[in-house]
Amino acid sequence: MSRFGRAGMLIFIGVLIGRLVLDGGFGWFVQQHMRIPLAAATVLLLVFGVYELVSSSRDGDEGARVAGPGVGWLLALPLLVLVSVAPTALGAVAADRVDAFVPTERTERFAPLPDTSDPVEMRVIEFLDRAAWDEARSLQDRVIRLEGLVVNDPEIAGGFKLTRFLVSCCAADGIPLQVTLHGTGRPLDDDTWVVADVIWRPPEVPYQETEGIWVIEADAVAISPVVGIPKDPYESPY
Amino acid sequence: MHDVSERGGDAHPHGATRRGGLGDYQPLLLVAAIVAALLVRSRIAWFDDGEVRLWATLFVSVCIQALPFLVLGVVVSGLIAVFVSPDLVRRVLPRHPALAVPTAGLAGLALPGCECGSVPIAGRLVSSGTPPAAALTFLLAAPAINPVVLVSTAVAFPNDGELVLARFVASFLAAVVVGWWWARRNDHSLLDVDPHDHDHGSGRLARFVDIASRDFVHAGGYLVVGAMAAATLQLVVPRSVLATVADNELLSILMFAGLAVVLSICSEADAFVAAGLPQFSLTSRLVFLVVGPVIDLKLVAMHAGVFGRRFALIFAPVTLTVAVVSAVLVGQVLL
Repeated sequence: MSRFGRAGMLIFIGVLIGRLVLDGGFGWFVQQHMRIPLAAATVLLLVFGVYELVSSSRDGDEGARVAGPGVGWLLALPLLVLVSVAPTALGAVAADRVDAFVPTERTERFAPLPDTSDPVEMRVIEFLDRAAWDEARSLQDRVIRLEGLVVNDPEIAGGFKLTRFLVSCCAADGIPLQVTLHGTGRPLDDDTWVVADVIWRPPEVPYQETEGIWVIEADAVAISPVVGIPKDPYESPY
Repeated sequence: MHDVSERGGDAHPHGATRRGGLGDYQPLLLVAAIVAALLVRSRIAWFDDGEVRLWATLFVSVCIQALPFLVLGVVVSGLIAVFVSPDLVRRVLPRHPALAVPTAGLAGLALPGCECGSVPIAGRLVSSGTPPAAALTFLLAAPAINPVVLVSTAVAFPNDGELVLARFVASFLAAVVVGWWWARRNDHSLLDVDPHDHDHGSGRLARFVDIASRDFVHAGGYLVVGAMAAATLQLVVPRSVLATVADNELLSILMFAGLAVVLSICSEADAFVAAGLPQFSLTSRLVFLVVGPVIDLKLVAMHAGVFGRRFALIFAPVTLTVAVVSAVLVGQVLL
């Protein structure tokens, strides 16, 4: 890799990642709090790249000298994949590959839900936690507003699994958070994003006494599809 | 792979100049490749396949997550190359390896980052005259015991405070044992790092940018290899298959060691993944938290790049074994 090539690589990474930072597209791959570290890294790479380009072209012959191992060219691969395959956020294909999230045991009490009129907006992970571990049954008979994507399952007639991914670090560790919805009306395609107003369906047998994956169910009150994929499609465990 | 022949050229960075050679046009080739990729985007049906796009998402997300930590790492490694001389290292580190190794391990407390950043730093420490055993201990300890990682572990396991202590103790122990092992072995012919870069008359700023850029494309290239391997294995070996062995303690320990190697998760976030698998024992999850930061697919690729392939082939199994044993022992005592 020549010094020119290296400078070009640094600038390209800076430009493409910088674009993801500016338009929020990075949120499909990593957590929101990575915005500032990514922006700082982008600025440094651009400064290094421009500095190298300018100083090596000023020195004439300098630019063509060997300045890095050939393996550095592999850095172009994620950039090429980014512009050609145009990967999107995790969706139904990913959800089918990994076991759904099981709420971990909670010992502290849940705060009561606000008394204001329903629906109450809630993260999907909080819905699952309250359904599984809230002894006060705060979800009972309340209308809760959740946002997520559609994952169809032939075994669920007239419904789908409302799915959102729990991402701890980057999309590669995403675990599906799923609520099985019934009575969702007209069928929707996999990966359609929806805002769903739902009422929790208390289980006949406590989840803790069932074998395998806990199926947490709810009845749909209203489903409204959302156009496109949100910029912040994941929930974080923080 | 082509690292051996490339390294030969790399060792004399100010040597060969090919006027009018390919080197002049490399940025243009890069532009051409990106334009070509944009043009084929809508024409290849294969790119719309669900699994291909999922692979792309996993691959790109591992790279993007690692990028800021890699940049932090090469900035530190550039600073080391400019400001740390073999003299300085001799004055700061205890002379005797038995003491130098744990000292270097404790220095890992000061680097808030994950494992991708510590590889170029350790490589630069060796070329600046740090005894390899101490640099390797730093390499293993820094991503596992720094405050950011310990705090995120405490957040992920709010009811298991002893797990944070166990993680610290087991990781530190593993790093020091591997360091002592290397100090006894003392076989430097295995190590193949960039030689110390003497001042060639250019200014400190120019040298800093040159070294940081070189370490970035070097370690970054290997990071890409590791990210591809991790994304591919995640698709080939679904996590649900791995999760069927929870009932057997020995099997779960082996599974978590394998999972840590395959998933290649950043050490700042692995605690949340372990917390999301509550059906397994705390000790087996401690194995996951101790193995992950010291050895995984992307790290093996990066070690091979920075220290040489022969080194990586010996270092990986030793580190994996020591980390598993250390985690199990500490788990027995503390958990």
